[in-house]
Amino acid sequence: MLSYNEKIRHIAKKILAEGKVEIVIGYRRGTLPMINEPCFIKHPEDVTRLIWDRHCGINLTNYLTQRKERIGIIAKGCDSRNIITHIIENKIKREQLVIIGVPCKGMIDRHKIASQFEEEIQKVKEDGDKIVVTGGGIEKIWKLSDVLQENCIICTHRNPVIYDELVAEPVAEQKDVNRYEDIRRIERLSPAEKAEFFDDLLASCIRCYACRNVCPLCYCDTCFVDGSQPQWVGKSQDPTDIRTFHFLRAFHCAGRCTDCGSCERACPMGIKVRTLTKKLEKDCLELFNWEAGIDLEQRPPLTTYNPNDPDDTFR
Amino acid sequence: MEYMGIEPGRIHFSWISSAEATKFVDVVNEVTSTVKALGPRKSFVKTPLTTAKNKAA
Amino acid sequence: MNVIKIDKKTWTEGIGRLQGFYRLIGPVKDGDFYQFKALEKGESPDFSMLNTRLSPKSIIYPQSEVMFEYSLDETRDDCHVIKEIQVEYSPQVVFGIRPCDAKAFLLVQRNFETPEYKDPYWIRLYETTALIGLACNTPCSTCFCVDAGSGPFNDAGLDILLIDAGEYYYARVNTAKGEKILKDSGWSEETETKDAELAIENLKQAAENRITARISTDRLKEKGVPDLFNAPFWEDVAFACINCGTCTYVCPTCWCFDIQDEVRGTDGVRMRNWDSCMYPLFTLHGSGHNPRDAKTKRLRQRFMHKLKYYVDKYNDGIQCVGCGRCINLCPVNIDIRKICEAMNGFEPEQKSI
Ligand code: SF4
Ligand code: SF4
Ligand code: SF4
Ligand code: SF4
Repeated sequence: MLSYNEKIRHIAKKILAEGKVEIVIGYRRGTLPMINEPCFIKHPEDVTRLIWDRHCGINLTNYLTQRKERIGIIAKGCDSRNIITHIIENKIKREQLVIIGVPCKGMIDRHKIASQFEEEIQKVKEDGDKIVVTGGGIEKIWKLSDVLQENCIICTHRNPVIYDELVAEPVAEQKDVNRYEDIRRIERLSPAEKAEFFDDLLASCIRCYACRNVCPLCYCDTCFVDGSQPQWVGKSQDPTDIRTFHFLRAFHCAGRCTDCGSCERACPMGIKVRTLTKKLEKDCLELFNWEAGIDLEQRPPLTTYNPNDPDDTFR
Repeated sequence: MEYMGIEPGRIHFSWISSAEATKFVDVVNEVTSTVKALGPRKSFVKTPLTTAKNKAA
Repeated sequence: MNVIKIDKKTWTEGIGRLQGFYRLIGPVKDGDFYQFKALEKGESPDFSMLNTRLSPKSIIYPQSEVMFEYSLDETRDDCHVIKEIQVEYSPQVVFGIRPCDAKAFLLVQRNFETPEYKDPYWIRLYETTALIGLACNTPCSTCFCVDAGSGPFNDAGLDILLIDAGEYYYARVNTAKGEKILKDSGWSEETETKDAELAIENLKQAAENRITARISTDRLKEKGVPDLFNAPFWEDVAFACINCGTCTYVCPTCWCFDIQDEVRGTDGVRMRNWDSCMYPLFTLHGSGHNPRDAKTKRLRQRFMHKLKYYVDKYNDGIQCVGCGRCINLCPVNIDIRKICEAMNGFEPEQKSI
């Protein structure tokens, strides 16, 4: 994917110079390994700052919410799906956007690598289908496919579903992916085991809300966890309140989450928060045959009623 | 809800018309009996606020 | 300042003895990272860490802390009377705190212990806690403690500084509290000679030479507040910020809190929880007006406070000890080093970067 850079810069320069857009939202190189910084470019001569590699896991759609100008945005498969959701939810207008589509082969999971490397990571280099990590005088090599983000490993929409420009030929979509193995494993647990599982999962949460704030879906002016009139949930480190935050947030993402993995990537404590949103994503697929952010015309399941909707929970 | 560890039977949904008095009674009876059978929740219960929490991390 | 030598063979023994006198806290590996935790009987602090993921500030300033309790039960005499909670403060010893994090307590003290206002909760915990530091032989690439007024072998705020010298630790004792702990531990009471000082100095030099992260703070003071406040670079540096507050929660020197009441039945408590200048609600007025209504303004506040207002107010460096946590844990790579350079080098007529 390193080869995309030139094309991305070329397109960005063109649309800026032609005045099609006022800014281009992309990434610039980060100051640490395995992380790049979302940025905007205003002047055609600055496009050389834009970069693309396997460390662009943050979903850029988050930066579109309620912006007023004309924007060029770089979008991999999942970002493009969230752009569709954003358009459907009136957070941005299609006419404002020039979408620079990036066929994606997966982003590297920084938590995964960090947790398997004892020293401080100083350099991470891609070398064919390998990834070479060095630091503190040691070197470790992984197969790329082993250190991708979990959501990328099971991704079935690597190509942008909506775009104006495409930086390269579409990549092959992954077939026969077992998307929900982990969720099924949890579903099989007893209620007590489930409760314990989630206690453990969320034990180290510091309630920084990075998972929420990085998510393009979480754009409410005042989130239910912040509101105090009425106070829906306590604000302290009480474990029940922490779980309430996580469960309710997941519900709010139902039928909207594209499993982009930004939330998991952002968490400073490395908590696998997708374990919650993915369950609802699975339910939407199984109950309503719905995948979020595929089609601009179709209404999401929670905003429509169909006499055939499953109603087993009612009696 | 079941996914997060709340037992099946603790939450009920029903659609009862104002004309369906007997259904209402039946449902209420069933809800109370299943929930009673399950007993008090053990997890996802906020522990009473105490000063014990103040012990440093 | 005495230096004693602790043979590592006698280390666990001494820790065990101290368990009898104090509540011990130290770094332990918890999943993928290290955290400060209360040590169980027989448990030793794990010194193989570079540093803990979260700063140790919560030991003295918990993320959630109950301050008062009250009852809403009208049949009780003390109904609606707000009473301070009673907590037992037994003496505790923190092992393995890094010099930057220990120095951070001195910075935070400026806020919690002033001539006009003394925060009883923070002060009580601070006074009953002894800090035993561990010098950093191998600082990380994001540590800029030296330029932030601390250093890998800095004693500031520490009762004892431990220096790992292979087979043994050197312990530099800085306070009476530290002396008492050493006595209770039974490690050794023999004062070391000039040689030890020299050995420590060599290790210190080696550690400082390994520090690669640098910042310049020399010109922050001479800059005008309005100039920096209105500088054009804020829009650019703040763009990526998602206002999550991670940086403030992991920072050992961030001290802001929010006060909340929680009631259950007729029992109520008033508690404080960490808050963050990155959150919109932090400055939302009752009128609905919010002076920091955009993320750029909130990000600017964090850095202006740390690198300008604090510098001007106390005339003693920046409100940052260079631990590097905010750099490592920010989900979108907002880097205080870059922002500090931008501020320190800012000239008013300069165009946007
Ligand atoms: S909940 Fe997580 S995976 Fe889903 S859209 Fe939001 S950030 Fe992406
Ligand atoms: S990002 Fe992680 S630590 Fe922060 S609130 Fe979300 S789960 Fe908790
Ligand atoms: S600077 Fe980084 S860690 Fe801090 S609020 Fe912004 S995004 Fe979060
Ligand atoms: S501002 Fe960042 S580097 Fe400075 S003390 Fe806080 S967390 Fe550490």
